[in-house]
Amino acid sequence: MMGMVGITLEEITKKFGNFTALNKINLKIEDKEFMALLGPSGSGKSTLLYTIAGIYKPSSGKIYFNDKDVTETPPKDRNVGLVFQNWALYPHMRVFKNIAFPLELKKSSRNEIEKKVREVAKMLHIDHLLDRYPWQLSGGQQQRVAIARALVKEPDVLLLDEPLSNLDALLRLEVRAELKRLQKELGITTIYVTHDQAEALAMADRIAIIREGKILQVGDPDEVYYKPMYKFVAGFLGSPPMNFIHAEVEGGNIRIYQSKISVPKQYREIIKRLEITEVLFGFRPHDAEIIRGEREGIKGEVYSFEPLGREQIVTIAVNSDVFVKVFAPEGEHFSFGEKVTIVPNEERVILFDKKTEKALEYFP
Amino acid sequence: MKGKKLQTLSFFLSPMIIMVGLFYLIPLIFTIYISFTKMKNWNTEKYLSEVVGFYNYQRLFHMFQHDPMIKAILLTTVIFVGITLIINVLGGLLLALGTFFVNESSASAIRLLWLLPRMSPIAVYSLVWYYFFHGSDIGTLNSILMKLGAISTPIPWGQMTPWGAWSVIIFVNGLVGVSFGMIVFTSSLNQIPKELVIAARVDGASAWQISRRILIPLTKWHFLYVLTWQFLSLLTTYPHLFLLVEWDLVNRDYGTTLALYVFNTAFGRGEQDQGLAAAAAVILSIIGILGGFVTLKVLQFERMIHEPRGDIE
Repeated sequence: MMGMVGITLEEITKKFGNFTALNKINLKIEDKEFMALLGPSGSGKSTLLYTIAGIYKPSSGKIYFNDKDVTETPPKDRNVGLVFQNWALYPHMRVFKNIAFPLELKKSSRNEIEKKVREVAKMLHIDHLLDRYPWQLSGGQQQRVAIARALVKEPDVLLLDEPLSNLDALLRLEVRAELKRLQKELGITTIYVTHDQAEALAMADRIAIIREGKILQVGDPDEVYYKPMYKFVAGFLGSPPMNFIHAEVEGGNIRIYQSKISVPKQYREIIKRLEITEVLFGFRPHDAEIIRGEREGIKGEVYSFEPLGREQIVTIAVNSDVFVKVFAPEGEHFSFGEKVTIVPNEERVILFDKKTEKALEYFP
Repeated sequence: MKGKKLQTLSFFLSPMIIMVGLFYLIPLIFTIYISFTKMKNWNTEKYLSEVVGFYNYQRLFHMFQHDPMIKAILLTTVIFVGITLIINVLGGLLLALGTFFVNESSASAIRLLWLLPRMSPIAVYSLVWYYFFHGSDIGTLNSILMKLGAISTPIPWGQMTPWGAWSVIIFVNGLVGVSFGMIVFTSSLNQIPKELVIAARVDGASAWQISRRILIPLTKWHFLYVLTWQFLSLLTTYPHLFLLVEWDLVNRDYGTTLALYVFNTAFGRGEQDQGLAAAAAVILSIIGILGGFVTLKVLQFERMIHEPRGDIE
């Protein structure tokens, strides 16, 4: 039912006065792909979405839908469906009218409108709400109406701007699964803007991480999670975020404050080749063990611990002002100030260049 | 507890009650009283206690029926309020919608331009249009038309009855009133979430469709508010009209509304008939109160009043 549409962004730059919102963005989104644009607020991810929709014109660069240059095409001729964070339902129209609005603008026949609105409403389980006004609906229902309105015109591309962030936490989890399923069933090329890393990891086929108008890395969830290209990416994905500790390279060892551990296997050659002496030592809270007694690892003192049910987060002071977080199994007992050793899983350690904050394996 | 509440209430309400009492209720009661007396030329000693019942009202209704001047004034009031109201409200709405779709700096410039009539002193502003519509060849409009060869002799615009006089007073007041609606509508349009407009745009709506289907329905309340406000203010306004009539720019009968008639009868040249003026003022007030009441009902004003959060104890 939907056309095949891949999107190519070529050197997209968008300036608002002196402020560069997007800086030479290159990105390819495949047909039927679910692409997440992930970044903190103000990173330019929504600007990029609106540029793809045609609401903003890029200051330079080109946008292609398949092979067609749509850079100058007005929004209405791009056939995109847009869903907003606040859902942007027309408050004075009933649900039926809200969903029918795009079709009315297209001058579809009355029968066709009736049929399509009912169809899409049924698909999103809101067919019993068509006579209500938006203010009579719950947040989750309003969100479905917004998605229905975006889908009813059978767009080639679905653009979602933080559609879940106005929902409460529990509902968000539910809708997340449903939205992912819907996207695959419809097979519609989807771009999803979010600042929530968990959402991006859970739903997207690929994630583009954006900071200050630049794409730092594009990859599937595993890739960006386990092979982050920059400290920023590593720190932005995962909760709690990756630990970063200042470290010095001494021959085949890495010195972290009072501790000394050997350079992880995968980095031995790179470090030698690049002749690096200072690194940021990164590991995720899940990728380390807390040991009592003598072992090669990072020595520290238990600062605090937070049981979370199935596991607990232990905060350990490696130095007076350097803290790391490590997960420990439930039931293990800690006491404040206890001396422990953190043993990171060697394979999962990531070393970043101190100056560029780029992961060493991505150096040429 | 009850006494405490009353004390708090009276503390907060007393400024308002004093203001309304002093400047509205007492004059209103006084006016109603005067309308039942033979009050003339401010001769309070002689006439203030001379109650004549409905005499002034009878005179007024007799004049409504038989005096051609009063008939002209009534007709002028209806035409003036009706047409100026439409110009004010629709003009304000069109300007607000128009500036909504252009960039902010030119929108501000346009808005400022339309605020000029409101900002300039009434006498200065009226004088501008006095010269513009002047009936001789010194009138700007006449001299332009004569230079263009459209007319050979100057036209006394304001003395052509009825439509010449009406057009001038409607034009002059219409221009002043547009800015009020414009400001209210502009602020109400700016409160509409921009996503609603973006969504409609992505779905292919033109500026006209966005205005008609989304913006105008969402400013309905402001529309009714401006309508009521302007109706009441047009019903009672007279400064511009007074000057235009005094300067003989417009015909006296077809340039005078009921509000100006009340003023002239009470304070004008020649014999001042405060009793009659008061009766006319009472009728004008009744029309205003009725009009305001009807629109408040239509507005469903009660629905805008919320229960207070928390208790006032």
